[in-house]
Amino acid sequence: MIQSLFILNRSGGLIYQHDLNDGLNKLSANEHLILAGTIHGVFAIASKLTPTAVKVSAQPRAQSQGSAVNGNTSGLKSIETDKFSMYIFQTLTGVKFLLVTDPAQGDLNSGCDTAENVLRKIYALYADYVMKNPFYEIDMPIRVDLFDRKIAELVKAL
Amino acid sequence: MSYYLALIGTTDNPIYEAEMGTYRQGGDGVPKFSAEMKELNPFIVHAAIDIVEDVQWRSNSLYLKAVDEFYGYYISAFVTPGNIKFLLLHETKNDESIRQFFNDVNDLYVKTVLNPFYNVNDPITSAVFDLKVKQLGKKYL
Amino acid sequence: MNKGIKASSDDIWKNRVDKVNAELFTLTYGSVVAQLVRDFKNDYQKVNQQLEKMGYNIGIRLVEDFLAKTGTGRCQSFKDTAEVVSKVGFKVFLNVTPQVTNWTSDGKTFSLILDENPLAEFVELPDDERAKKELWYSNVLTGVLKGALEMVQLEVDVNFVSDVLRGDDRTELRLQLIRFLKDEMPAGED
Repeated sequence: MIQSLFILNRSGGLIYQHDLNDGLNKLSANEHLILAGTIHGVFAIASKLTPTAVKVSAQPRAQSQGSAVNGNTSGLKSIETDKFSMYIFQTLTGVKFLLVTDPAQGDLNSGCDTAENVLRKIYALYADYVMKNPFYEIDMPIRVDLFDRKIAELVKAL
Repeated sequence: MSYYLALIGTTDNPIYEAEMGTYRQGGDGVPKFSAEMKELNPFIVHAAIDIVEDVQWRSNSLYLKAVDEFYGYYISAFVTPGNIKFLLLHETKNDESIRQFFNDVNDLYVKTVLNPFYNVNDPITSAVFDLKVKQLGKKYL
Repeated sequence: MNKGIKASSDDIWKNRVDKVNAELFTLTYGSVVAQLVRDFKNDYQKVNQQLEKMGYNIGIRLVEDFLAKTGTGRCQSFKDTAEVVSKVGFKVFLNVTPQVTNWTSDGKTFSLILDENPLAEFVELPDDERAKKELWYSNVLTGVLKGALEMVQLEVDVNFVSDVLRGDDRTELRLQLIRFLKDEMPAGED
């Protein structure tokens, strides 16, 4: 069950936030910004802490399934708690997609893989409906109705 | 035998002209119009425009065959859907090969129009167009 | 690896790319260039600049589509980049694969030779002498390449050096790597 989606631009600014579960208590816009900023910082710190051995084993699998490669090889990949999980996907251009979901069931890796598939699909939607919108300015907040709807459709269809 | 081809724009303005000679029966492809015929050609063709405008509405094909005659010279016409007239002055009747010639010239004309820097009714100055038309003349006339 | 690239970009071209009528595409680009020429009163240098800017704006957007659709990973060297630009980028967006050649010995500059240029079909440059010397008709491509590569942290200089439209015997783009934008490299990659 997907709870929420965040998109961070290259410099760590929050450009999109979408709650996908109506039953949740909402955070304020300010809290969203703080959360995004924190994740961005923690992500960068984590990438400095990652042991080389892990980096090597996590080389991006080029051409995997013919869809977007996760450039996130040594940063923070996921956060597991009792109440929720969070997955991070970073494109080669530096845009981060954050997915907040219900806690992973069973095997943690399988949770990561499924989340990554969803994130890839979201990236494709972002490429189509945000980047190809000629009036969208890069690095600015995303206010595109069609993108909202497509995300909602994608999540509903899961 | 010699041929004179003129393309006429929508306001009766000439946009292209060429003289060609025949390659059939050992022709050398050089036009052999006499000096006074050279000067007369544009007038003969121009005079045929009125007849073309008359005939074009009575035919549903683009090729109108020979529409006019002037002291042994025939004028065949072809009108594109965009009302550009192709007129050919020739000495012997040969409907079929002239039809093919016009069709291929039309293809070349369409390509010219597709050039973003060409506007309808501009004179066609492209050397490539000229060369290709002359190649078609060699093939069909 | 090269074979793999070709097969997968063929597959993407065949199955995952929406196609548009080639004439419509060519005419659309042609009318843009012709209108720019008119608007700038035949100042071809300005037209070149404008086309490059338009291309840049296309490039920085298109790169996301490219990455999302093709799943290309980070290139390990500029040589890899050249291969990917030609065999995946040009293939997927224009269905042509320019030759990569003329490397300088420092491996920082190469040429793309376009045997076919879908932008320039039917085109003959205006015959006012200057156009054939000054206008780079397909200059939008230089901008696209610059924009797209900049988004993946490669600063490059791209220029046309010859164009069959000008009467040259081939159409050649020259790409020079200026530097890797290390500071902009996203954290979390090596």
